[in-house]
Amino acid sequence: MEHETLFPLLCKTAEGNKDAFAKLYEITSSQLYAVALKLLKRPELADEATQDAYIKIWHNAGSYQRTKGTVLTWMVSIVRYRALDLMRYHNVRNEVELTDEAAAIPDAPQAFQLGGEQQKLAACLDELDGPQRQAIHLAYVNGLSHQEVVNYLSSPLGTIKSWIRRGLQSLQRCLSL
Amino acid sequence: MNYLKEETLNALAAEYVVGTLRGKARLRYQKLMMQYQAVSDATAQWEQYLAGFNDTVEPVEPPKAVWEEIQRRLGHSASNDTSAQIVDFERAKRDRWRGLSMLSTAAALVLAVLLVVMQPAPVEDVSHIAVVNNADNTPLWVIEVSPSSMDVKVTDAFTAIADKDYELWMVPANGEAPISLGLMPEMGGDSRATPDILLDSSIAALAISLEAPGGSKTGAPTEVLYIAPILSV
Repeated sequence: MEHETLFPLLCKTAEGNKDAFAKLYEITSSQLYAVALKLLKRPELADEATQDAYIKIWHNAGSYQRTKGTVLTWMVSIVRYRALDLMRYHNVRNEVELTDEAAAIPDAPQAFQLGGEQQKLAACLDELDGPQRQAIHLAYVNGLSHQEVVNYLSSPLGTIKSWIRRGLQSLQRCLSL
Repeated sequence: MNYLKEETLNALAAEYVVGTLRGKARLRYQKLMMQYQAVSDATAQWEQYLAGFNDTVEPVEPPKAVWEEIQRRLGHSASNDTSAQIVDFERAKRDRWRGLSMLSTAAALVLAVLLVVMQPAPVEDVSHIAVVNNADNTPLWVIEVSPSSMDVKVTDAFTAIADKDYELWMVPANGEAPISLGLMPEMGGDSRATPDILLDSSIAALAISLEAPGGSKTGAPTEVLYIAPILSV
């Protein structure tokens, strides 16, 4: 999808082509919205983050650099950072609302179902210790702060910080191979 | 600089992308990203490393109102009852911009020409410059544009305001609404890729607005502080 579709649409968006922008929205919005909703939990905030992200995408389409990652990664990053801003601004707390779903995720998904990027991440996540994997997942996907991960996993703050830090170091070693 | 030690930088970038870098540390990191290429490169690298997580989130269709609001905010929609008001509002904004940019052009032109004369010869491929002056005509930022990069330098006369950011805007000559070119650096300077739109469009002026941290939330400048003409060199 990436090279055939998204990149040309983003280029046309940078030139001010509204139809290309509408198409780009049509293809990507359910992915961006889902990421925002997962982080923010509240639909009205996810709406706001998604709107802000696409406004920014419209204005900054020309500054996308292909060497720094795929179009979709660039777009999802924009909505993630906006959601993190809103989370801080509205003081969104995450500790109570996650239940079985988050607890179930840490087993890395079955590799054969996944695309290349995800497959590699899944394989590398698989090499991490269970708690490290779970802590990183809770922080990245569900938007938990260090303290919220502490509450969720019932381990001391120092331990959580070190799980995340060491987990990320191991991930990087594995992913850059 | 301490921040730029590779290991520290790498750990900070990872925590920023994961989302566990919060509060003031996060704001400081965002400033560093604007100032240092190595910081923004490390961030992009981690965004790629962790991108696989994004696909594990099951897609959710946003409500229809989300797209309608995006179009309204960008001034793209034109087919409902409120569209007449929006068009009028856009026009009023445009006229104001046209007036502002014309007024400031004469005075700023003289200053900018003086500055060009006083400065050493610009780097060969710089094609345009703009100097952003404050109300006392003291330069705060100098912007040099070449086909590939846009370099912004902060002068010693600039003083940052806590909890505020400065956003750069391009004011199209055809009177259309200003277009954001991103946040201004508040110390040292930065270099960013020249947005295509800057080279393709006919520009009346650049403008700087005062914004809440992170820049304008509406897609339009909140409080315009300075206007600077953009000049060929």
